[in-house]
Formats: sequence, C-alpha cells, structure tokens
Amino acid sequence: MSLLVFYLFAAIAVLAALGMVVLRNPVHSALSLALVFVSLAAMYVLLSAPFIAVAQVMIYAGAILILFVFVIMLLSPGTDQGVGALKAQRGLAILFGAALLVLLIAVLGGAVLPPTRGTFTPEAIAAEGDTQAVGALLFTNFLLPFEITSILLLVAIVGVIVLAKKRQSISKQ
Amino acid sequence: MAVTEPVAPAVVKPTTTNDPQSIADQIKAKYPDAVESLSAQGIVIRRDRLPDVARFLRDSPALSFDYLNNLTSVDYPDRFEVVYHLSSISRGGAPIALKVNVNRENPTVSSLVPVYRGADFQEREVYDMMGIRFAGHPNLRRILMWEGFEGYPLRKNYHEPYYEEEHKPFGTRWDQGHHVIAEDRNPWHDNVQYPPDLDATTYKPPRDEIRTAGIENVSVTKLRTDKIVLNIGPQHPSTHGVLRLKTTIDGETIVAVEPVLGYLHRNHEKIGERNTFLQNMPYTDRLDYFTSMANNHAYAIAVEKLMGVKVPERAEYIRVIMVELTRVIAHMSLLGFLYNDLGAFYTPLLYGLEERELVLDLFESVAGSRMMCNYMRFGGVARDLPEGWLDRCQYLVDERLPRVLDEMGNYLIGNEVFRARTKNVGILPRDLAINYSTAGPVLRGSGVKYDVRRAEPYSIYDRFDFDIPVGTNGDVYDRFMMRFWETQQSLRILKQALKQIPAGEIMTGKKNYQVRVPKGEAYGRGENPKGELGFYLVSDGSPNPYRYHVRAPSFINLGTLNEMAVGHKIADLIVILGSYDVVMGEVDR
Amino acid sequence: MDPLALVIIEALIKSIVVIIVLLTGFAYLTLMERMVVARIQVRVGPNRVGRVFGIAALQPIADAIKMIFKEDFIPANADKLIYVLAPGIAVGTALLAWAVIPLNPPLTIFGYTINFEIANVNVAVLYLLAIGSLSIYGIVLGGWSANNKYSLLGALRSTAQMVSYEVSLGLSLVGVLMVSGTLSLTQIVQQQSMIWNVVWQPLGFVIYLVCALAEINRVPFDLPEAETELVAGYQTEYSSLKFALFYMAEYINMLTISAIASTVFLGGYQGPFGILPGVHWLLIKMLIFIFIFMWIRGTLPRFRYDQLMRFGWQVLLPLALANTFVTAVVLVLLGK
Repeated sequence: MSLLVFYLFAAIAVLAALGMVVLRNPVHSALSLALVFVSLAAMYVLLSAPFIAVAQVMIYAGAILILFVFVIMLLSPGTDQGVGALKAQRGLAILFGAALLVLLIAVLGGAVLPPTRGTFTPEAIAAEGDTQAVGALLFTNFLLPFEITSILLLVAIVGVIVLAKKRQSISKQ
Repeated sequence: MAVTEPVAPAVVKPTTTNDPQSIADQIKAKYPDAVESLSAQGIVIRRDRLPDVARFLRDSPALSFDYLNNLTSVDYPDRFEVVYHLSSISRGGAPIALKVNVNRENPTVSSLVPVYRGADFQEREVYDMMGIRFAGHPNLRRILMWEGFEGYPLRKNYHEPYYEEEHKPFGTRWDQGHHVIAEDRNPWHDNVQYPPDLDATTYKPPRDEIRTAGIENVSVTKLRTDKIVLNIGPQHPSTHGVLRLKTTIDGETIVAVEPVLGYLHRNHEKIGERNTFLQNMPYTDRLDYFTSMANNHAYAIAVEKLMGVKVPERAEYIRVIMVELTRVIAHMSLLGFLYNDLGAFYTPLLYGLEERELVLDLFESVAGSRMMCNYMRFGGVARDLPEGWLDRCQYLVDERLPRVLDEMGNYLIGNEVFRARTKNVGILPRDLAINYSTAGPVLRGSGVKYDVRRAEPYSIYDRFDFDIPVGTNGDVYDRFMMRFWETQQSLRILKQALKQIPAGEIMTGKKNYQVRVPKGEAYGRGENPKGELGFYLVSDGSPNPYRYHVRAPSFINLGTLNEMAVGHKIADLIVILGSYDVVMGEVDR
Repeated sequence: MDPLALVIIEALIKSIVVIIVLLTGFAYLTLMERMVVARIQVRVGPNRVGRVFGIAALQPIADAIKMIFKEDFIPANADKLIYVLAPGIAVGTALLAWAVIPLNPPLTIFGYTINFEIANVNVAVLYLLAIGSLSIYGIVLGGWSANNKYSLLGALRSTAQMVSYEVSLGLSLVGVLMVSGTLSLTQIVQQQSMIWNVVWQPLGFVIYLVCALAEINRVPFDLPEAETELVAGYQTEYSSLKFALFYMAEYINMLTISAIASTVFLGGYQGPFGILPGVHWLLIKMLIFIFIFMWIRGTLPRFRYDQLMRFGWQVLLPLALANTFVTAVVLVLLGK
C-alpha cells in the first residue's frame, strides 16, 4: 500500500519536474516546481519524517517559490523570452546532461557504493520523535554550519541592498 | 474625546466695497492704456493688457485681489466677452468683474493660469464650450466634451440634436391638430454631429497622453522603476459618480493624476439658456443633488439681484433654515462617506444617512419632494411651513442632531486608524488653496478664513452669531474636521433662526409662472456645503436668460487634485478625493 | 485488511463529513455576517427567503443559486489555465487545514477508537503554518492570471502582506509550543483540560489574532481586495462560481483561524475547568471569534499599505520576538 502511494507521488514529482523544464510560461514552470516540492514532502512523510515534510512545504513552496512568482509577476516576461540567448549553450548542456545521466545510472543502478543504513531508522525516530531528532542534531553536531548559514543569508541580504543602491548611483550620473 | 472648536474670533465685517470706479482709476494710474471702458457691470480691459492688469490687481497690497471667483464668457452677436470675477480674501466684499472683448473670427486671450492657477479648469471649460483659445495655457484641451467633438455648444449659433426653438416655452406640438414628435423631425443620423471629414471605419480617437510634466522630478524610490498608468474610474466604487482619474503610479505611489471629466455632462448652461428664469429653479436642484435647497438659494439670490426684489422676513428665515439644514445633512453624511473611502464598511455612513432621512422628511413636508426640492422662488419661497413643522424642526435641532453629531465625533475623530490615514495626507498649503480658487471646506481647511456668509453677507446671515472654523494644516484630517465644526455652527444658526422666525408673508408680490427680469447682468453667490456656488446671469430683458453660467465649487476644487495627491499612495488618492466631497452632477453639469 | 488502507478509508469518511459541514457552515456564515453587520448599521438585514423566527433561513441557498446562474466570464488575455485553477487552490488550501484540528475527545465504539481529527500528526502546528503559507498561491495566481491592473496590485499587496505577517504569526505560536512542549494539536488540547494556554500566553494570543486577521485579509487588513481602492483587488475579474469559490475560501479561512485560536489558546473542545468536553465548546468559542471578526468589519476603517507593513515589521515582529524570549527565559528559570 505505501509502495503504491510512493509510486503515485514519484510519478507526480517526475512529471512536474519535466513540466518545469519544458513549459514555456515561467509562471507555469514555477507552479510545476511547487508541485515537485509538495510531492517530495509526501515522500518524506512516507519515510517517517513529517517534520522535514512540513518544513519542505513551508520553506520551499510557501516562502522561496512565492518570491519567485512575485518577481516573475512583476517582470512578466514573454513566454519565449530567453530561449534565443541560451542557444550557444545548448551543445554544452546536452554534453553535461548526458554525463550526469551516465553517472547517476552508474551510481544508482550499478550500486558502485553499497547502500548504507543510517542511524535514524523508523524505529529510532519513533522512539525519539522526528522533530526532537532534527532539533538535537541542529543544535549539537551541526551548530556551526547552521550559524554559518544564517550569516551567509545575512550577507546575501546586505549584498542585495548594496547592489540595488549602486544601480541607483549609476543612473543618477 | 472632547472636540473643541477653534477659538471664536471677532466677527469680520467687510470694510470696503470694491468700487469699480476707484479700482479702474488705480489700474489707469499703473497702465494708462489698459482700461477700455467702465460701467457698473464691470471694467473692460484691453485684451493685450489682461495679464499685466491681473498681476497688478493680485500683487498690489492696496488691492490684493488674490482670488479668482469665476471665469466665464458670453457670446454676443458682435463679439465674445470673457468675464473674470475677482475678489480679495482678506477684504471680502462683492467680487469685481473684469471683462475682455474678443473678436469672433479668431478668439484668443492670454491665459491667466500663471496668475491664478484656479483659471486652469475654467479656461479649459470656456475653450471647450465657446471655442475661445487661451494663449499660454499649459494644457488647453477639451474638458467636458470629448476630444474630437465638433463645434462649441455654448455659442448661440450651435444647435443641439433635436433642436426645436431658441427659447422655451416652445410652440405647440399640436399644430393644426397633428401631433409632431421632435424625433420625427430629426432623423437619427442627425442625432450626433460629426466632423465633416470623419470616416467612422478608420477613425482612431486621439491618444490620451500620459501627463508627464513633473514626473522626472519626483523620486519615489531610489531604484529606477517602470511607471504604469492606472485608470481609476469612470466605473469605480469610490469615485463618487462617473469620474475618471488617469493616474500614473510607481508601485503604489502616485506620480501624476489627472481628472478626466464630462461623463455626466448634459450642458446644463445651454439648457438653462433655453429655459425661462423660473424653469431653471428645479433645474438647479440637479447640480449638486445632495444640496438642492442651497442651490435654489444661490440661484434665487442671483435672479433677485437682477430683479431688485426684496424678500419678506419670514421667507428669508425659512430660506436660512432650509439651507442650514441642508448643510448639516450634507456634512454629516460626508463624515460617513469619508469613512467609507477609508475602508470602513458603511457603518458611519449609514448613521449619517439616518439623520439625513429625518431632515428629508422635513423637506418633503414643505416642498413635496425629498431631494429635488424646487422650493425657492424669486422674492420668497413656494409654500409656507405646514402646521407643526417648526416643532419637528426644533426637536431635531435642539436634541437629536447635536446628540448624534457628538456621538459621531466621539467615535470617528478619535479613531487611531482614521488619524493615521488622514493626518498629513493631501496637504494643500494656504497660498495654493487661494491661488487655485478652491472654496468652502477645502479652502477653510487650509486655514483661509473665507466664508461667503461673512465675506459678502447675503440674505440675513449678518443677524446670526456664528464662527468660521478654519483648519491648520490643510490635510484630509482638517477638511474632515471642517465638516464637523461647520455642522456645529450650522446648528447654532438654526437655533437662532428658529427662535427669531416671524410670522408674515412668504413671497413678495403674487405667485407667477413667469417673471420679468430687467436687462442687466449679475453674479450672485451663496455658501454651499461644497463651497461658493455662483450664478452669473446675463439678461436681455426677455423671459429667458441670455447667459446662464454656474460657478460649480466641486469642479474648481477638483483642480487641486494633482497638487494634493502626488507622492501619496493609491489609497490616499481615494481619501483625498473623498475629502473634496465632489458631486459629479455639479462637476460635469 | 491492510492497516494503511483502513487508515485511508477512515480519513476519507472523516474528510467528507468535515467538508460537508464546512461548506454548509460557510453558507450560513455569510448569512450571519449579513445579519450582524446589518444590526451594527441600524438595518434589518435579510429576512425574507424562508423566514424562520425573523431570520432568512434559506437566504444562503438563494445566494448560491443566484451566484451559479451568473455569467462565467474569462477575460480575453487571461492565462486561462491558472485563472481557472486559482479559485480551486484557494479553496483547497483553506480546506486542507482542517485535517489536523481535533474536534472532539476520542470516542470508543465497539472497541474501535475514533479520533475526531482527520489525521493526528505530531507536527500539526507546523502543518497549519505550512498550509497557511500555501494559501497565498490562490490569491497571487488569481490576481496575476486575470491580466488586470487592479488584480495585479491586489496580488502584489497580498503577497507582501501575507509573507510579512506569516513571520509574526509563526512566532506568536512558538510561545505556546514552548509551554506545552509538543507540536501535536491533540496533545496541546489535552494539556489544557484545566487551564487554557491564553493564561500563560496572553500577548501571544493577541498577536496571533492580529496576524491571523491579516493572513485571511479581513478588515482592517483587507488591502488585497480593498473595495474602495482596488475595486475588488485580486477578485476583480472573477464572476459566478469562481468568485464564489474565493468567497468560500475567505470564510473557511475565517473558520479555520478561529478554530486554531480556540484550539491553541482557549482549550479547543475542553470546557472551562474541565466541564463536559465536547465539540460544542469548540463551536461556541469559534462563534465568539467569528462574531468579533464581524464586529471589527462593521466598525473599523482600513490601514494603508505602508502602514500595514510598518505595523507588521516594526510592532508585531518585535513583540512576538520579545514574547518568545520572555517565555524561554521564564521556562529556563522554572527549570522545565
């Protein structure tokens, strides 16, 4: 039964991901991406990690993507815009895409690395609680990366403001 | 929260009358060649000297005619005459009339917009209606008719579709027993007049240009952004009728706004010239349909000036009571209307309208009609007050209205959201308010102590003890408070009037369906709830006015919209518009 | 039978019941709003259609029939797919929130325990926030796809507004979460059998209510559909059933936030001091909140856009942060 649910959401995720790349209208692409996020969240639920699932929806679909949509709405580019500019990259993109595909098949299909079982089995999570597990890891083992990330985001925000201001001083001249 | 009115100032009586002779002498002293002729009707100025004379009249400290009341034109058989009514805010008194003769072949006058910015809309109206061009006007386009309209409707030789005769009453339609319908005489294709070279299949309306003057100077944000044009109206929930605001916005911030008028235009003045003098009385009801009694009064004053009729005491009191009741309900409703524009869901408005209904009951019992009262006559009023009317009015004035007004004041003025939304929004500085010829609460909200009831006391307003409240900042909050304070003052006047009203005649002479108006011209005005409502009448001795011009306060007040709204948000624009209390029936006429 | 299949079937039945109740509840909510606002405005309100005790009992049905028979209009330059999809997203996200709200204490019938929430998720509070953040999509897409300037302005306003107020909304709940030490609504309700959380978290409660009003675009934060400015904001071009769906989403959201406020702060289905727990308590509490929302609608004017943003970021956010901080300090001092 749970396998059935998995395949359902896997199919949705793959189709939506394809749609995101293929669809010409940027808003449609963004919506497909949202669908990918939601299907991924469903898979996290199947993996006994509801906290991650909810966080996935809240942060990616609810916050980051909505800003994408916001920007797309403001710029409202035509549906075909940008295709011509990328023509030169097309050959390279096919090359690298093929390389990535080969690599993925090699890793997943050929099992180059033996699959390892992590410490957080469903039983362990059920005993501890998945929210607690994430919290404990975040504030002990991964405290430094966590804080560095927040500083990085702060720097990014400051950088955006600086860049925006610079544009203004140029246009003044 | 206690709401205190401003400190009561000493009653300002007009000191000097604006005598045309002495003013003409002073103009002659400065510009010897400027005055062409002089009469009691006004000073005729040489056409090329007009801007100099206007600037002199405005800037000379002794004269200081800083306020352009009215600007219009008259079509005489041999010439056009452009008429300017000027008065002094500080001195008060009746306005003086300046006139300029323009030849019919190439009618051009220098624009007075550089001197009086209030001339902007009025000159456009004259251009639109009579085809007189104003050299140097920044934006001389049609204002009430659409761009591309053929002809100038107020010229005497212009005939409207379904034209029958020059004057009412029209001849019989039962000529020799056969009914003739006007439509039959005018086939439908003559209904609208098109330019001779127009081809309907290829016609493209002239592109509305986005008003860009001044946009470069406004920096809204520090980023370079694209501006978009948002058409607010003509169908929009809060334009108070069919008004269109062509708004250029940057994000939510307004960069320029231009009112596009005329959607309700029916050429009131042309119809007024077809009508007889008395037939225009019910027609004035339709100007500002919220204040029909006050419109009647101003029109009656203008005609009585021409006729030289004295109004009986009782009729004067009845008139004042009616006009002040009108002011009370108009202002109390506005307190609610403005809240509606602020986004309150009708509640304050409905409380204001409830009181309005009670006053309309009173109107109905004297005039037979609630909104279109058609109550005043030249030399009196149409009917005497019915039995018990004064008691009902007394109850409203003494108990009900003050109580509700206090209640509204308590709940509406102290509201935090209201204060945050209205203070320092839509500021109109004092000098601009005068220069733009604004009137009524808009003018007084900017701190200008000018009320026609005091500046040129008409009717019996000199007998009553009342104050003219003024604002301090000229923002929306002040204009809101003006309505509140003026309602209090109106109630004061009403109390005195109800106490003093004598018995007696209500009409000079006997009732007549036709009045004899001698040859002459007059500018009569009254203080409407919206501002100075003026009627400029020219009579050639016939039963119909030769020229019938309405100085509509809402129309001229609207000219300041761009001044007030630029730099504010869209939400503020709606509130600023609401603070004018515009009524499109009066704006578009 | 596969246990997962059993769970799914049970959830399906519960969902259908909840959806039916919500949709009829929405219809009668519109009637209630019209009656309440009418009384505030010294009017009578609807009292004609199917009159029972002076109340127009069938008015919502009449409204629905009228709405259905309106012309269903799609603007020429609209993005048709998204234009049609947006009202559905709005209603869908509004309904999704009800999956985790506990309505009644568990009942045991024939040895089978029925939980009166569709899903007992141990991250229910986070789930509600996540669904709340998704509900922006309906409005934003609806406003964008109609290709109308008023709609677009409404959509832009709502995006900025909801993204800003979501932060304070989340933070206002953190205090409760710290006090109760769980993210599960079921457990939060069970813990409040004697003392409601509002006693410990009065500031959080107020902040939640204000932010929730902003989240569902009710007066005085109804800027995305500000009638007097933007005609109808993001709904301007919508008509017929699609308009009705937006309307429905708005009212269901109102039900949702009053349910969350009752559950998280006022003990949900728990009666005061443990008196007779049951769904009626939840309904009474929700009705009180809904009445307050209608009362606010009948009396307050609207904020301006920039004032709204300033209020959110400069007043509510610092307050919510301070509330979180003080709660944390007190909890540490108490040694919890």
